[in-house]
Amino acid sequence: MYPVINLGPFVLPTAGLLYILGAWFSLSWVEKAAKQLGLNPERVYGVAVTALVGGLIGARLTFAAIYWQAFQHNLLGIIWPLNTGYNLWGGLVIGVAAGFFYGRYHQLHPASTLDALAPGLIFGLIVVSLADFLAGPGFGTLTRVPWAITQYSMRRHPVQVYEILVGLAALFVWWRLRDQRTVAGQAFLMSVSVYSGGRLLVDAFRDNAWLSGGGYHILQIISLAVMIVCLYLAARLGETAVQRRQDSHQENH
Amino acid sequence: MTRLRFERMILLAALTALGIVWILFSREEVSRSRAVVLTEAPIVGHLAPDFTLATPLGEEVSLTDFVDRDGDSGQPVVLNYWASWCGPCRMETPEFQNTSLKFKNRVAILGINQGESAQKVTEFGISYGLTYPLLVDEDSAVNQKYGVNSLPTTIFIDRKGVVREVFVGILNQAVLEDRLNRLLEEG
Repeated sequence: MYPVINLGPFVLPTAGLLYILGAWFSLSWVEKAAKQLGLNPERVYGVAVTALVGGLIGARLTFAAIYWQAFQHNLLGIIWPLNTGYNLWGGLVIGVAAGFFYGRYHQLHPASTLDALAPGLIFGLIVVSLADFLAGPGFGTLTRVPWAITQYSMRRHPVQVYEILVGLAALFVWWRLRDQRTVAGQAFLMSVSVYSGGRLLVDAFRDNAWLSGGGYHILQIISLAVMIVCLYLAARLGETAVQRRQDSHQENH
Repeated sequence: MTRLRFERMILLAALTALGIVWILFSREEVSRSRAVVLTEAPIVGHLAPDFTLATPLGEEVSLTDFVDRDGDSGQPVVLNYWASWCGPCRMETPEFQNTSLKFKNRVAILGINQGESAQKVTEFGISYGLTYPLLVDEDSAVNQKYGVNSLPTTIFIDRKGVVREVFVGILNQAVLEDRLNRLLEEG
């Protein structure tokens, strides 16, 4: 709808602008969350920055490796222009690995660190949906519901708005659990499982979904797997916490 | 504890089953043509507006010379909007030339100029040794039809004539190849 923003003589890509603002806000939120959870904010912020930068570099290098023939006579092309040409999976793997090793090196508690990273991660995903809504190629399925929006001259489900609402619900869960969690890692696992469950639900209303050969929504399959794993781990963490409490109670008596 | 664990396992199994049912319910017919319900518009998912423009030598070129809206005999098309005064356009031009040679006869790359004379277009083509068609749009009618308000802009169109991506900004050869391979793989 608004692929570019015109500011006088300058034409700025809406999505790029949102990604930069989103990254800045997400990182700030992670730092604040770490402080609220009693962690070292600088170290947790370091994990987030390392994962983000590692992810971007990894995504670019993976893309360059896949299309090496196009880059081998133009090595400068690997570092410029950077407005496109990234491989999602390469970025994810290298970003997560970079954040993990940074955390290990600084001996951060993994579950507590994930609790602090959760709002930044979810907010980042909300920004991706917002950028897709304002400037991306995504659109919802045809519908006659009263809240439908006119997109590409048809009445459609505002699927990216649904995704944003799912993200806000997950952030609400995180905010509720932030101070009431019974065990470290619970806020991360529960907010991510709510987000995954929501995306599983709303991706059905996306008309340009990423499909498997059989026509299944790949994002729904990934979301279901993530949701079940997170809920299972949250249940296990809860059991361990209860067991520990019982053991210490018995020792006291 | 055992009872609680059992209840949680049942809940997880029920959620998994519900999720699988929802995934099955959301399954789409892969072969359906989304363009059928769409109108002509320079927007992703719509049929790309048809146009006819001339090369500097006067040879007329239409979008429908390449795409096949009703059959399978078309080929993907890349529309690259440019102007000789546009620095980023000049930077990406060699990338388009290399890609056009690599995908010769499989993909049509068309360079649509914005508001310049046939002579300017000719001079630009010669200075860069371009072999793909450069089209003259002196009154910018096709530029306006495609809503181009920033240069360079590149539009990827599949073999059925459906707009698949509108890209504003500089592209390099690798990104071009990535997009074109995807369009070609779709068959």
